[in-house]
Amino acid sequence: MPRKVNVIGVGMVPFAKPGKSEEYHVMARKAGQAALADAKVPFTEVQQAYAGYVFGDSTCGQRAIYELGQTGIPVFNVNNNCSTGSSALMLGAQAVAGGMAECVIVVGFEQMEAGALSAKWTDRTNPLDKFVNVMNEEQGFNSAPPAAQMFGGAGREYRWKYGTKKETFAKISAKARQHASKNPYALFKDVLSVEEIMASPEVFDPLTRYQCCPPTCGAAAAVLCSDDFAKKHNISKPVYIAAQAMTTDYPSTFEEHSMIKMVGYDMAKAAAKKVYEQAGVGPEAVQVVELHDCFTANELLTYEALGLCKEGEAEKFIWDGDNTYGGKYVTNPSGGLLSKGHPLGATGLAQCTELVWHLRGTAEARQVEGAKIALQHNLGLGGACVVTMYRRD
Amino acid sequence: MSKELRFDEKVAIVTGAGGGLGRSHALLLAARGAKVVVNDLGGSFTGDGKSSSAADKVVAEIKEAGGQAVANYDSVEDGDKIVKTAIDAFGRIDIVINNAGILRDVSFKKMTQADWDLVYKVHVLGAFRVTHAAWPYMNDAGYGRIVNTASAAGIYGNFGQANYAMAKLGIHGFTQTLAAEGRKRNVIVNTIAPIAGSRMTETVLPKELLDALKPEYVSALVARLAHESNSDTGGLYEVGGGFFAKLRWERSEGKTFRLGRSITPEDVDASWKDITQFDKTTHPGSVAESMQPIMGNVEAGPSKGGNALIDVDAALGYKYPEFTSSYDERDVSLYALGVGAAKDPTDERDLQLVYELSGKGMKVLPSFGVVPAISMVFTQGKNGIQAPGLNFGLDRVLHGEQYTEVKRPLPRAGKLTTKATVKNIYDKGKNALVVTEFITYDEHGDELVKNELTTFVRGGGGWGGERGPSADVNVPPDRAPDKVIEDKTSENQALLYRLSGDWNPLHADPSFAKAFGFQKPILHGLCSFGYATRHVAQAFAPDGNPDYVKSIKARFASTVLPGETLVTEMWKDGEHRVVFRTKVKERGEVVISNAAVELHKELPKAKDRSAKAAASSGGATAAVPNSADIFRAIGAFVGGNPATAEKVKTNFLFKLSAPESAWTIDLTTPPGTVTEGVAGKAVCTLEMSDADFMAMATGQADAMKLFSTGKLKISGDVMASQKLGFLKKLTPEMVLAETKKRTGGAGAGVPPTAAAGVPADYVPTTDDVFAVIEEYLKQNPDLAAKVNTTYLWKIGSKTWTLDLKGAGSVKAGGDAGECTLELTEDDFLALTQGKADAMKLFTTGKLKISGNVMASQKLQFLSKLDPTKAVEVIAKRRGAAAPAGATAPAAASAPKSSAEAQAPKIFAALTKRLADNPGLQNDVRATLKFVVDGNEQTFAMGGNDPKKVDATLTINDADLVALVTGKATAKNLFQHGQLKVEGDVTVAHRLGFLNKLV
Repeated sequence: MPRKVNVIGVGMVPFAKPGKSEEYHVMARKAGQAALADAKVPFTEVQQAYAGYVFGDSTCGQRAIYELGQTGIPVFNVNNNCSTGSSALMLGAQAVAGGMAECVIVVGFEQMEAGALSAKWTDRTNPLDKFVNVMNEEQGFNSAPPAAQMFGGAGREYRWKYGTKKETFAKISAKARQHASKNPYALFKDVLSVEEIMASPEVFDPLTRYQCCPPTCGAAAAVLCSDDFAKKHNISKPVYIAAQAMTTDYPSTFEEHSMIKMVGYDMAKAAAKKVYEQAGVGPEAVQVVELHDCFTANELLTYEALGLCKEGEAEKFIWDGDNTYGGKYVTNPSGGLLSKGHPLGATGLAQCTELVWHLRGTAEARQVEGAKIALQHNLGLGGACVVTMYRRD
Repeated sequence: MSKELRFDEKVAIVTGAGGGLGRSHALLLAARGAKVVVNDLGGSFTGDGKSSSAADKVVAEIKEAGGQAVANYDSVEDGDKIVKTAIDAFGRIDIVINNAGILRDVSFKKMTQADWDLVYKVHVLGAFRVTHAAWPYMNDAGYGRIVNTASAAGIYGNFGQANYAMAKLGIHGFTQTLAAEGRKRNVIVNTIAPIAGSRMTETVLPKELLDALKPEYVSALVARLAHESNSDTGGLYEVGGGFFAKLRWERSEGKTFRLGRSITPEDVDASWKDITQFDKTTHPGSVAESMQPIMGNVEAGPSKGGNALIDVDAALGYKYPEFTSSYDERDVSLYALGVGAAKDPTDERDLQLVYELSGKGMKVLPSFGVVPAISMVFTQGKNGIQAPGLNFGLDRVLHGEQYTEVKRPLPRAGKLTTKATVKNIYDKGKNALVVTEFITYDEHGDELVKNELTTFVRGGGGWGGERGPSADVNVPPDRAPDKVIEDKTSENQALLYRLSGDWNPLHADPSFAKAFGFQKPILHGLCSFGYATRHVAQAFAPDGNPDYVKSIKARFASTVLPGETLVTEMWKDGEHRVVFRTKVKERGEVVISNAAVELHKELPKAKDRSAKAAASSGGATAAVPNSADIFRAIGAFVGGNPATAEKVKTNFLFKLSAPESAWTIDLTTPPGTVTEGVAGKAVCTLEMSDADFMAMATGQADAMKLFSTGKLKISGDVMASQKLGFLKKLTPEMVLAETKKRTGGAGAGVPPTAAAGVPADYVPTTDDVFAVIEEYLKQNPDLAAKVNTTYLWKIGSKTWTLDLKGAGSVKAGGDAGECTLELTEDDFLALTQGKADAMKLFTTGKLKISGNVMASQKLQFLSKLDPTKAVEVIAKRRGAAAPAGATAPAAASAPKSSAEAQAPKIFAALTKRLADNPGLQNDVRATLKFVVDGNEQTFAMGGNDPKKVDATLTINDADLVALVTGKATAKNLFQHGQLKVEGDVTVAHRLGFLNKLV
């Protein structure tokens, strides 16, 4: 029986545009220090460290963690595309759950370049080649940024299936901006109307520019520990991980001639199912969700993958306002990847940070009232999806 | 948690504070540090009586809680006394809450002057007196917060409260003006419209509701508005029972009539929907904002007038949507026949107008320049495109005048774009003239033709507008004509002419013509116009060459019946000008008057584009690397580095444009090869312009950037393109070495592919290609026996027979083959030059194969035709045909524009199908609008409103053809972004009714 894993400290730095941030190790240090201070635990108590990042040479993790202290502990560098942060989090949680460590720190950071994501290693097979070939077959290859074509194409396929209005996608972004306006850590705090979002240049139908997450720099961190450790440090009623699961691609990604499947719908759905089974509660028990809205299209698909609404009913869910304050759930109270920003390695931990704040009731102007159970969804193409449920009793 | 809103050191007056809302405001402000003057007359809520106990009680309450307050028992009508109390007690005044009020509810019929006056005095006069007394202090201090009290009754009206409603809305007007006046001195003024349980309301509201309407709920807003941090001024807030909201004015977009013409009640009635509908609104917040539409209207200036048929303001300057059209030799010939050319088929000069292979070269009549404009009028009319403000039908119009100017002799084929503008509108008293200008551009965007079409609108005038030029010009001189040409039209002339684009049934349908009072269908005015143009050219242009005609102007004076004889009388008027008129011989009536033709002094030429093309190819310049050098350098590089191919293992095809070329870098088997043209099966195809390729290969452009900006297109295995990194290893020296080889060291370089007698801008024709095929067959004598099939090619309007049985032969013409292939000349040329793929042409419907379809696969050899060889063969061929190195042979026609738009045909077929199958309509039950390149059509199905479009489907012509022929599915096109659906996407699921439409 795995042990319970508590999240006793979280912290992050305000996210920034490429070129406007501090260096990765400085951001990581600040996030790490914030998490340790939040946990009221000195670094010397930390037994292992997990560092998530995508862009950078090997051992950036050590370079960053050494800023917090050099106690000779194991440091692991984790790279799993956009789901890097929560992959690192899961490894840390496994170390605690399996009894291998009492207290670990997980830091995610990213110092990104401006512009759309592109491949760095052009002398070898691109790991996404099979995804691109599926897309090429289904909808051709365009001059738009590849990620926007993939998720936009999935949105297009969804639109074809259910006749969804373009405005529905834009509403997700408007909601994200609304939420982010209250988040001092977010990159885009200006509120945008649905009209303004629709009027921004089209990147790839149905996505317009304001429906794509920006390249971002930032860092976030979490301190995890066992019940024994929490008790020893007089930490009462910490937030804990009620369930967690990671999935990777199923054959449907490549075989079903579906853009929706290609961008990881099935792995998200399967991960959510596992989490609900582990936790013994379903989506109806959740109040607040941080999910992977790299593009509005993916947030829409994820509502269904996570079971927040039935398949084919995401549009109604959105128009009913069930994704924001006053509705069934509040999704991405932080502003999500769309507005808060998406520093690949940091995203999973920033989601965790936001949810912990809500469960503690310290999310200030963004607080989701009565939040008891929170759900996190972090997805990377390539691919991996991590779904985590947090609770506070 | 935001900071507590405190009022320390602030002095507040609250009127009517002895109970209810006022008491609650006073207690809250005092609890938060304010020093409060508690004013209350102590009367009943109906304004009767007076006592000091109410105010004293509240003061005591405040003091008990540790606050500071003094009581005041004056009426608000003595506002100066209340303010004096504040100054005496606390030395200043910061906040005024005008809250005191009374009710005298009674139905209007029973209302007395006393009811009216009393309510006015307490609410309005009282608020004025108190505020007016406090205002100077606030002004001097540069600080003040005033909250006035209105009511829902004032905003919305309420039965029995005429007096009260007047007072309450008056107070908001008062607030808004004070807000404007106080803004600069930091005096902030707002109105609240509260609902609360108080002495005033307890008589009218039920108990449960009263409990929900605690005064404290309202006081929270009052405190927020009265706080130092508040900067919102002039606002109106509804508050009560836990609800807080701000109100503002909303105004419909409204209707603006241009000034200077009468506006009748009927005009207002006709615009009632615009005036009252709120789907587009503004929220004016000041008089200035409120005035904006009026100022805009004044700025727009006076109306140019109009009437029910013509609204000059709306119509004048209107630009019609662009219209694209194309024509070829067939259209030119048909037009010439339509205007009576070549009645003597042996007359060489006339034959030129109708025969594309005429020995003297084909000529296009300059009056053919009207055709794109007329096609535009009819096509757009049919599609419901109309200039706004021109509200008359065909039944009112006559073609009044025509002016046509050709910028240079018209080419024998072309792809045209026409733009039209409503240029002038003249009021001729009873009737009106509308002048529309059409400018037609060729495929390079150069102006080719200008038309001015003057439409005579019967009964369209009379608004007192500009009359326009009226003096007759081009009046024949007072002497016998210099030349006269007689020309009898044929009985079916109109039927022939209408095929050039003027489909008006007046010229074809006897019953229609009768309805217009004509004995039979009449000849088109523009047909007579064409006759006359031909006559003038024949009589006055050098050598009768119609190319010399620069412009034609004519007024249509009367109608002509087919079969009548046209007599054109011409007078030379200056060296390059001919005045003419045309009469009907049989009736002696003038049908074209005020007419003239201008002639060119010398023939203008089309812009020479070949020089530019040659320069950009780099062929003529010495020692400048071109793309071929780079590819050869790549070849040399991979030859010397077999490891490259080992790593890359891919076959790349580069397709370059402007000028076009194709190169294959085949690295599937080391060391790999680089060859010009298509070799082997390309795994990854890269398309870009020659210039971009040069920039990329010389490091001046980044491949990623070219790709992301759409200048580089990659198809096939897209990811494989990333393996082209090795190209960076190419050094400038390697490229230069190839350049030197090509140019023979230095000096004047000659491109390797150029052959004598072929100009640099040479574009092969179908004839050329078949010549090359013939040559190829000679060199590969076994081929025909292997293929053993006869092929019939239908290329554009021509046919060719490729007989691959026995020895094999190629010949022009023919009408039978075991396998028939049909495609446009452009596609044929692209196919045989390796620029298009047969399979792709076939699947997109551009290549049609009938008969023995499988036999078409034996035509692979066509892609092996060597382009260099082609040039040689052609040079030889041309040398033989024209020893003096003459230009293009007669039979070689310019590449024709690809197939004409199919959308109109498809729309027509669809209209018919829908009419024939009402059941289909019910399956769809929606209004669909198709936008296909320039063509648009809306289909309302299943009784739907044609004006309410459920979905707009945007698709290009070729894709629409693929869709209706079942070669593509709607889903597939949608996913590829080739079919765009605005509105209800699911309607696109129901496009089954398009299946096999053509």
